Amino acid sequence: MNESDFVGRDVVSIWDFSREELEFIFDRTSEIEKSGSPRTLEGKLVALLFYEPSTRTHSTFEVAAQRLGCATTGFSAPDKSSVAKGETLHDTIRMYEGYGADCIVVRHNLMGASRFAAEVASVPLISGGDGSREHPTQAMVDLYAMRKTFGKIDGLRVGILGDLKYGRTASSLCYGLSNYDVEISLIAPDLLAARKETLAALAKKGVKVRSTSDVKDVLGSLDVLYVTRIQKERIPDPTEYERVRGLYKVDLELLRQGKKGLKVMHPLPRLDELANEIDGTEYAGYFTQAAAGVPLRMALLRMVVS
Amino acid sequence: MDEPHDKLLVRKIEQGTVIDHIPAWKSELVLRVLRLDRFGRRSADVSVAILENVSSKLLGKKDVVKVDRWRVDEKEADLVCLIFPTVTVNYINSWKVTKYSPRVPDKIEGRIRCPELSCISNAPREPLTPRFLTLKEERSLQCAYCDTLFDFDRIPDYVMA
Repeated sequence: MNESDFVGRDVVSIWDFSREELEFIFDRTSEIEKSGSPRTLEGKLVALLFYEPSTRTHSTFEVAAQRLGCATTGFSAPDKSSVAKGETLHDTIRMYEGYGADCIVVRHNLMGASRFAAEVASVPLISGGDGSREHPTQAMVDLYAMRKTFGKIDGLRVGILGDLKYGRTASSLCYGLSNYDVEISLIAPDLLAARKETLAALAKKGVKVRSTSDVKDVLGSLDVLYVTRIQKERIPDPTEYERVRGLYKVDLELLRQGKKGLKVMHPLPRLDELANEIDGTEYAGYFTQAAAGVPLRMALLRMVVS
Repeated sequence: MDEPHDKLLVRKIEQGTVIDHIPAWKSELVLRVLRLDRFGRRSADVSVAILENVSSKLLGKKDVVKVDRWRVDEKEADLVCLIFPTVTVNYINSWKVTKYSPRVPDKIEGRIRCPELSCISNAPREPLTPRFLTLKEERSLQCAYCDTLFDFDRIPDYVMA
């Protein structure tokens, strides 16, 4: 396998990548982290079309593109673009292709928008997350951070805590982990339990999954506790949000009940589900995880843009 | 049409389609999938006879839909058979009956919409055709865009106008 095998590939779902391909991407990420990357994309243009707010995903794609010598264009606030006038995603994609974009990154509030955008675009399309379904590059970042921290992913016991119903990072991480020999614990209040689609997909892959609403049921066995925030913006019924708000919180007192070496990860941003007191402790893995966003997205851009 | 007293209710047709062995009282769902109400809107020269809860050797009781002077689209017939595996479809041409063998399609394009309102395939004005993968063992469809799963039984609720 070499980098040219990835030229022109879309990154719409983490399902589209085999374990071997993921490991190849992680090896390139690791190289970039250690030694940087030549500016192999000089003269290229990446369009960042963000229909939803983003800090990490937008910034890391922007920085990644710039470090590879690539120019960027696009928008991060659809209310200030023609999208606000009702322009379709289809037309917007075609327009940016017409401007010479060599790769398009889309974040969208509607589920499946990235797959549709990839069908429209003739250049590689990378999902920056869509609706409550998938966020493939975040899952790659998460898996890479696990591999970096523990040396390997096989054998890990991973607890995923929080909003498993509306959280796209949680479902993409589950799908990515299904390539490895891991045990997954899904920990969520009943109202935010994983969707049947996620459970069915994991069952099909034969992944060992345990579901509970109480983190203490599984904490003692976990190597990684992956915490997610409640996706308030995606919960259709405000009363549903009020019922789940504050139902879980991870703090030092809780983590001390975990096993030695336990790492806490979080795709960020956090609200009140993850206490600040964890930041300076050996448990905190989330800032290292966030930092991996730039080299991983550099690796991806370098590989898919010819 | 496997019992004599049906003949008292509805005459044979010369040209058209007979959807037989529909589970009793479910013909309304079949009509919805076949979108036969569109003929009303178009004033087409098509007659539809609906038999409900008639005797059947196979099912005990069944419904039958006869569409006079209209050949039901094979893809729509396949869709009906997805929901009701007992259904048989006969095409009538000059009184001659030809049994149609329905296929379980690997995918369905158009005809139904995704139940997930936040799916891109439900976005107004986006030029796309909804597409679903058929999961035969699970008797479910899965949206190719947003991966939403729904049972075959729910197909009538999402037939596009």
